[in-house]
Amino acid sequence: MSSLLQQLLNGLSLGSAYALIAVGYSLVYSILLFSNFAHGGFLVIGGYICYYSLTKMGLGLLPAALLSLAGAGMSAVLTERIAYRPIRRRGALTLYLLIASMGMSIVIENFWVIAVGGRFRAIPPVIPTSPISVFGTTVSSFDLIVLAVALSLLLGLELFLRRTRWGLAIRASSYDVRTAALMGVDTDRLVAIVFFVAGALASVSGIFLAVRYTLYPQLGFITIKAFVAAVVGGLGSLPGAVLGSYLLGVLEMLVAGFISSQVRDIVVFLLLVVTLLVRPQGLLGRRLEEKV
Amino acid sequence: MSWEYLQGVLVLFLVNSIAAMGVSLLTGFTGVFTLGHAAYMSIGAYALAIGMGRYELPWPIALLLAGVLASLVAYLVGVPTLRLVGDYFAIASIGLGETVRLLVENWQSLTRGARGYPGIEPFADLWVVGGIALAMGLAMFNLTRSRFGRAFKACRDDPLAASTMGVDTTSMRIVSLVVSAFYCGVAGALFASFMTYVQPAMFDLSKSTELTAVVVFGGLGSMSGTILAAAVITLVVEAFRGLAQYRMLIYGLVLVTTMVLRPEGIMGEKEIWHLLRGRRG
Repeated sequence: MSSLLQQLLNGLSLGSAYALIAVGYSLVYSILLFSNFAHGGFLVIGGYICYYSLTKMGLGLLPAALLSLAGAGMSAVLTERIAYRPIRRRGALTLYLLIASMGMSIVIENFWVIAVGGRFRAIPPVIPTSPISVFGTTVSSFDLIVLAVALSLLLGLELFLRRTRWGLAIRASSYDVRTAALMGVDTDRLVAIVFFVAGALASVSGIFLAVRYTLYPQLGFITIKAFVAAVVGGLGSLPGAVLGSYLLGVLEMLVAGFISSQVRDIVVFLLLVVTLLVRPQGLLGRRLEEKV
Repeated sequence: MSWEYLQGVLVLFLVNSIAAMGVSLLTGFTGVFTLGHAAYMSIGAYALAIGMGRYELPWPIALLLAGVLASLVAYLVGVPTLRLVGDYFAIASIGLGETVRLLVENWQSLTRGARGYPGIEPFADLWVVGGIALAMGLAMFNLTRSRFGRAFKACRDDPLAASTMGVDTTSMRIVSLVVSAFYCGVAGALFASFMTYVQPAMFDLSKSTELTAVVVFGGLGSMSGTILAAAVITLVVEAFRGLAQYRMLIYGLVLVTTMVLRPEGIMGEKEIWHLLRGRRG
């Protein structure tokens, strides 16, 4: 029973990391209608900035985290400016954006391979991982911290989207970018804000994942699971992305804990296929119909 | 440079061309982005290795089996993912690549796991591979210039308009995927025979990326561009073996810069003979 509770919390903690990736990915998808495969790169950039701020610059956790948020956010904006905006301006097929994003993902990953090497690095123990006792069972304090931080950031994002003018503009653009632009929304600036937010949230997840596992250039590959979570929840829907992420995190940990950790990645893929067969719009997705 | 070495490079080029033609049909002509086609090569390679090794099939039948099995898996993946508009297939393709690799690594009794499957009969010399590549190349050129080829392009350029004109876009996308998987399956099988052994690590995400990079570089919608790009990549990989760590970086840069500066690739939608005759495609 207590191991079940531990695995559940472990899954919620992993799901939190997925959720922070998946909301950024969904946000970009809802506006530009393409899967930004470079999203995993922002997570890795955030992770490395945090690592070097802690080890080389001797900063504390909070300044290091803020630095990595800003750094990852800026590189997301820069990626959009360099690789996507020229394609977007031409009004070309979203296929081109997809290919360019895959290219950027490879460039970012291999930049780190060449710059700092492919080896695994452990983040200094700045986030406590000691076990603590809750309701009679021992759980990892790290998992609780991750869950708390992720939930407050997701709440913050929700408030930003509901209560601010830019939030309103983003929600309007997710229905129809062109109409929103005609209503006076500066699309380029809006896209930059969306990418900054997406990159910053991904970097938080990057720090968590680097503590949970280790830091290495291919860590960004984990975003594919966040993409699957976003599809399960409903592509383009933010609450869906969060729900899908927690569902996937818990499922993965239960499979790893009670069946075998070898099959957990296969289960993720099966979940994707089953979702697409049974409920292609996802749990909370809008209806899939093309606008003419 | 010995004749054996040259022969080896030529076989690699032909194998890469067959696989790249498959991806070109799907991504270049039909507009479906994939990052998992190495999985179909892997399925083909193992189908041949196991078909010849365990069941002692003659190689032409094992080779056919390799292509058919890859097509079958593609059909099973395509039906749920391609009937939807959106990036579902792209996401699933990466998942498939990983799933196939995990299955091959863990299904020890059938595939002999991560260490690989040795002792495959090396029937794939230059003449066999050359003949198969020629036949499959001709079939592909004919396909792209047929009614199907035009339907594929319509799915890529404007699926909505295509369906209004009576093209069943879902079926067309699935047909395109099944054919492209057949090409990759056969290419994987030939590669396995040429190497005489097969390992799951041969068909990882970077192989899938290479295939897509070749197609994008050669020009979306140009078969001869794809083959030209396969030749360039094969030669570049051979010439710069020492710089392997930059290889992926270069693929990435090729993808981004091609899309930003010249999304139509080196050939655009033209085929080589259009340039020779000096008229537009």
